Amino acid sequence: MINSREQNVYQPKMAVMEDIREEIQDVKTFYWRFENPEDQKAFKTFMPGQFAQMSVFGGGEIAISLPPSPTEDRLFFTTRRVGSVTAAMHAMKPGDRFGVRGPYGNGFPMKDYASRNLIIVAGGIGLIPLRSVIIYALHHREQYKKIQVFYGARTPKDLMYVENLQDWQKDPNFECYLSVDRADEGWKGNVGVVGSLFKKPGVHMPVENTTVFICGPPVMFRFVLADLKGMGFDDRNMVSTLERYMKCGVGKCGHCCIGVAYVCTDGPVFTLEQIQKLGEVI
Amino acid sequence: MRGRLIHKDDVLKIVDVLRQDHEVVAPFYGRGRDTYFDVVTDANRNAIQIHLPNPYYPPKRYVLPHIQRMFKVKAGTDAGIEPCDESRKRAIFGIRSCDVAGIFHLDRFYLGKEYRDDYYAKFREKLFIVNVVCSDPQIDVDDDCFCVCADTGTAAKDHFDLQLMDLHNGSDFLAVAGSAKGEALFSLPFFKKASAEHVQRRREVLSEVRKRFKVATSWYSAAIRFITGRGVNDETWKIVGDRCLECGGCSYVCPACTCFTVSDRKTGPDEYERVRMWDACALGGFTRMAGGHNPRKAVHDRRNRRFFRKLAHYFMQRELSMACVGCGRCVSVCHGDVGMPSVVEIIRRTTVGEAKP
Repeated sequence: MINSREQNVYQPKMAVMEDIREEIQDVKTFYWRFENPEDQKAFKTFMPGQFAQMSVFGGGEIAISLPPSPTEDRLFFTTRRVGSVTAAMHAMKPGDRFGVRGPYGNGFPMKDYASRNLIIVAGGIGLIPLRSVIIYALHHREQYKKIQVFYGARTPKDLMYVENLQDWQKDPNFECYLSVDRADEGWKGNVGVVGSLFKKPGVHMPVENTTVFICGPPVMFRFVLADLKGMGFDDRNMVSTLERYMKCGVGKCGHCCIGVAYVCTDGPVFTLEQIQKLGEVI
Repeated sequence: MRGRLIHKDDVLKIVDVLRQDHEVVAPFYGRGRDTYFDVVTDANRNAIQIHLPNPYYPPKRYVLPHIQRMFKVKAGTDAGIEPCDESRKRAIFGIRSCDVAGIFHLDRFYLGKEYRDDYYAKFREKLFIVNVVCSDPQIDVDDDCFCVCADTGTAAKDHFDLQLMDLHNGSDFLAVAGSAKGEALFSLPFFKKASAEHVQRRREVLSEVRKRFKVATSWYSAAIRFITGRGVNDETWKIVGDRCLECGGCSYVCPACTCFTVSDRKTGPDEYERVRMWDACALGGFTRMAGGHNPRKAVHDRRNRRFFRKLAHYFMQRELSMACVGCGRCVSVCHGDVGMPSVVEIIRRTTVGEAKP
């Protein structure tokens, strides 16, 4: 009954919800698998930065980031409840069945970044697509030079993937810095926007031979960008993922087209230089 | 030349032959001045029109239905997906050259790139196209037409199965085959051999009908150059945007517009179907994301988008044709008079520094 991808790109494959975990307020992580192991195998070829189309039957279909790395075993989504489909998603229970198709988009060209320094700057739920990058890079640790992660959230309660964060902070193979806008009683770390971490004593960010990944809310994006440009980072070496309203994910429905690029097929990963050339306000 | 002669009284016999194994759609007059494509039945067969104003609602819907079921789905524990295929063996009789070019554009878009649109492909591979050339300057062509500027008419050069043209000599039509399927029809007894005089007559009729076109869009190529090089300033797009009433009509009548939206609708307890339907970039919600952020909120941004998508050289390279076929429907539909020729004119006037229109 389920067609191969060659036959019909719009038809999702059946998947089943395995486990749902409350991440932070209004954000849940959904662990799932494809019903057909063949689909699971085909899907696991994705790269960090790619996305999937997730269908809640009767609710609709949305484009959704992939927080897991292909090097991990389990597949999962993390979403904030903002629209009608994510609301339907948040009402799901383990055992519920839904549709997934993909992976789509270009993804981060992780192989091209070999023997470079990686700096990952994430704000709030911007960590979702970048989590994949971090896990992937750590799995292939020997391929990259220095790896630094800067992650900022509003409050300590808004920090996502807490278990990962704890592991990462202990990991001697790379540097992981956290910051919150507003501290609570238990918080011992940095207080301030994520950009304030860049100037902390002991933090040395290499400008040469470095790729910077930035994901986060627009305000954070603007300030981080100004900081990084001030430090001498080049537009060509800063990459981000764009978000647009999408219906098809395969370059047909037209909703995500910016300038001459379809975000779904030409993106969602663009360098800052490319984003500026698209010719529309992002 | 793969051409034959056919007597005008025999032309509709082609429809009869095609009806044996196709659903045939053809143009008719409505009750007023309106014209439309409809399925040919025994009852309306004799009312098929050869010469008439091009129907307003484009025949694009026979390859890309206005609303189309994609699949049916059962939710709940025994969830499953059942694909829908609403395509059928169909022939369009009397499609105009501009709309033939429109279908070719859709072919390039939906079938051309890394992903192939399966729904479109199924409709398209079962389609037989009988193009009728606009040859009567009084009836076939109206003031809004500009196919000669878009280089799609009045006689299509390719992408049809069979092309018919009234030679206006009181008796004959010249038929041209554009595919092997079309050529196969020439074995029918009512096709006769054409002579060099008939081909000459075809040329005369075509050059005569060209004189009918009045719309001054000879600035088309310059407009493409300006839009591609982003030489059209925001002020100009604001002029266009201020006139747009955001009805989306231009997209709905456009034979080359491709955008669609997708929606799930309930068809029973725990049963849904996913449908896709035409969408229009003029509409305010076109780019609005969950949570309400809309990157293209201002109307002139969305108008800029329409014309950029249609005329930028990058997309013309990608689809091998610009996404405008010169049918003139957007001119007729637009209450704000920002159809394609009008926008080309606005770009011309503002970029050469004339007074604002």
